[in-house]
Amino acid sequence: MSKEQTRKQKILIADDSEMNRSILADMLEIEYEIIEAENGLEAISVLQSCASELSLVLLDIVMPVMDGFEVLTIMNQRNWIEDVPVIMISADRNPSSVERAYNLGITDFISRPFDALIVHRRVVNTILLYAKQKKLVGLVEDQIFEKEQRSNLMIEILSHIVEFRNGESGQHVRNVHTLTDLLLHRLMQKSSRYQLSQMDISIISTASALHDIGKIAVDEAILNKPGRLTDEEFAIMKTHSLIGATMLEDLPFHKDEPLVRVAYEICRWHHERYDGRGYPDGLVGDQIPISAQVVAIADVYDALTSERVYKKAHSHEKALEMILAGQCGTFNPLMLECLTDISDVIQQELHSDNAIQRSRRDLRTITQEIISHNELTASERTLELLEHERIKYNFFASLTKEVQFEYTLTPAMLTLTTWGANRLGLGEIVMDPLNDEHVCSMLKPEFLKQITSALRTSSPKNPVVTQDTTIPIDGEERWFRVIARATWSSDEPPRYMGCIGKAMDVHDSRAQMNSLERQASHDTLTGLLNHAYAKKRILERMGDRPDSKYALVMFDLDHFKSANDTYGHIFGDHVLKHVASKLQNCIRSGDIAARVGGDEFVIFLEYDTPLEHIIQRIFTALCGTYEEFTISISMGVAPTQLVGMDYETLFHAADQALYTVKRGGRGQYRFYDKTMQQTLSAISPIDGCTAETAQTKHEGEEHT
Amino acid sequence: MTLQECYTALGGDYEEAIGRLRSDRLVQKFVLKFLADPSYDNLIKSMDAQQYDEAFRAAHTIKGVCQNLSFTKLYQSSSALSEALRSGFTPEAPALAEQVNADYRQTADAIRAFQESC
Repeated sequence: MSKEQTRKQKILIADDSEMNRSILADMLEIEYEIIEAENGLEAISVLQSCASELSLVLLDIVMPVMDGFEVLTIMNQRNWIEDVPVIMISADRNPSSVERAYNLGITDFISRPFDALIVHRRVVNTILLYAKQKKLVGLVEDQIFEKEQRSNLMIEILSHIVEFRNGESGQHVRNVHTLTDLLLHRLMQKSSRYQLSQMDISIISTASALHDIGKIAVDEAILNKPGRLTDEEFAIMKTHSLIGATMLEDLPFHKDEPLVRVAYEICRWHHERYDGRGYPDGLVGDQIPISAQVVAIADVYDALTSERVYKKAHSHEKALEMILAGQCGTFNPLMLECLTDISDVIQQELHSDNAIQRSRRDLRTITQEIISHNELTASERTLELLEHERIKYNFFASLTKEVQFEYTLTPAMLTLTTWGANRLGLGEIVMDPLNDEHVCSMLKPEFLKQITSALRTSSPKNPVVTQDTTIPIDGEERWFRVIARATWSSDEPPRYMGCIGKAMDVHDSRAQMNSLERQASHDTLTGLLNHAYAKKRILERMGDRPDSKYALVMFDLDHFKSANDTYGHIFGDHVLKHVASKLQNCIRSGDIAARVGGDEFVIFLEYDTPLEHIIQRIFTALCGTYEEFTISISMGVAPTQLVGMDYETLFHAADQALYTVKRGGRGQYRFYDKTMQQTLSAISPIDGCTAETAQTKHEGEEHT
Repeated sequence: MTLQECYTALGGDYEEAIGRLRSDRLVQKFVLKFLADPSYDNLIKSMDAQQYDEAFRAAHTIKGVCQNLSFTKLYQSSSALSEALRSGFTPEAPALAEQVNADYRQTADAIRAFQESC
């Protein structure tokens, strides 16, 4: 065990001059662990990998590759600046640079030449200050959470007391809350007329619970009167909105809290009408705060659909119809549209546990909002957990031998795992990768285009895309399979924010597949296609272009047996190879050539010039000598025009034509005609046989 | 040659350096390290290649180092050069670069002489 129980705190020094770094390091290295970066990009890469561990950054302004201001900009974009204090060190005393640096969030500015004592003191002070602040933030966070829970509970109790007195169901407050929340979310999707954040929506929904607190001051006999209210009674009833507002206004404390201010608006104005004929103030249109407008419509809807002492409950449809017809007051047309839009959702949401789930979801969004608004930073505990995850992730990433990456749109930045960066020969961090020369030279533009568009058109539900591409590794183009998952923001509508993913080297397995495929489809001796594969290709070809003219040509070597007998089987194999290579040279690239038996070959060709010329040319090209052996060919030709497009029939016809040549003295070619129908087959019974079996066949043939 | 004499020879302010860096040991350590800093070579190369943004950074770095070590003479000329190059080439830059050249040689000679005597 090291006697130093606590690890040293870490300081990042980013300065392009080694001298300057080591002067600073010398002053600080006794108490702190020093990490050095010689330009801004390196600094970002250190921050990326361990921002949460750093206690301080000492940052130079003028540096190559990326200067200090750019580093600060990225630290702001990534919210690092909130957790890691930065002291800028520069000889540049230009007030506008200093101001710019402070605006970008630096804590202190030390100008060169610096005094060792001052640097040391300022570093210590800054670190202490931040440590205290982090601790406090954590404490405050916990307290806010607890307080929030407690105050929600209090509001709920209070509003239930009011409800109980009103003789309402006990669901009313909860329903108004849910409806308010749904209406506001819909409103935000639909229009930008009212600028409300998630936080505002949450406050309005919570405050909606208090809309009727003024009823506490109204006589129970009036509240619960089963029949119609007299004018006098109604006048008393109407006072509840103003009374509720006054109660809140007269609160001895907290009246400037957003919740209280919003509750005031709601209490006072939830009986105003959009046309100005409501009470107590007769406000018109958007003079009525949006909070009160929403709660008013939610209140009316729930009152209509609930049973009261003076009325039965209406159905959802009936309530909607009455509201839209203007029977229950005049509302903001936009609000009515929102109500109509969420009509389907209302029923399922009102009588289920969804409300609870939704409030959890909201809490999460609000937390994110708070964090991004710099009001609170993540607590130390969270950072530790994140750090643990990061270590875990890096460890597993290094084992997989995959290039793992993360891409963010703002800032445009590609981050690679250490292993991946080495493999590709790129830095661990690449700024603006789509315009980076190095990245663009490695990745094909069409690949980048395709995968970017695939990611952008993915959805939060189906965010994963897969794409194969080649990437040059040490000068060799290798196949990679890229699997990426788009990251979508959690707000509505979701925004594309970048992706995470990995690139796996599939080159070897792909090459193996190719070689297996080749082995399965080719004749090993001649390298031509084998019969089965040729047949597959021929069928595909005829299927693709059924209106073209084709011919199937079958030929074999005359007296091949004597070549085998005289010169041996190895010589025989050489003859077959020689013929195969001649064959490949004299056909066109689109034609299909295969060895289908011992010394039997098939050619499949498409033609639109006279067929006879083509056959004549191929036939002449194939004849000749190989060493002392004279190559003579017998050939049968079956055109689809005559025989039709059925493969078996075509093959059989070519076979019969060949057989006819064999019987008629060999050494020539013939086209199939009907007279050949009864002839026998020339072809050997087994495909892909060797020269030896071919020999047996020829022996047999001589007896026929 | 003492460190103090070395400072005199290169046109620097020994007292000031000691005042800020707080120890003779540190000052000596960094004075000896000065010759290993590549910024001067970078400056010459990028001036020759007319890469003035690179030359600016190199001059700026020399200036920063000299400032920390109180190499007053070289600090002044490199400071003037870096200002002349801040927004690219200016007509006075070549003459200022010559001055930096001369001051750097003077500084380097003094440090080498000191190095041999310690």
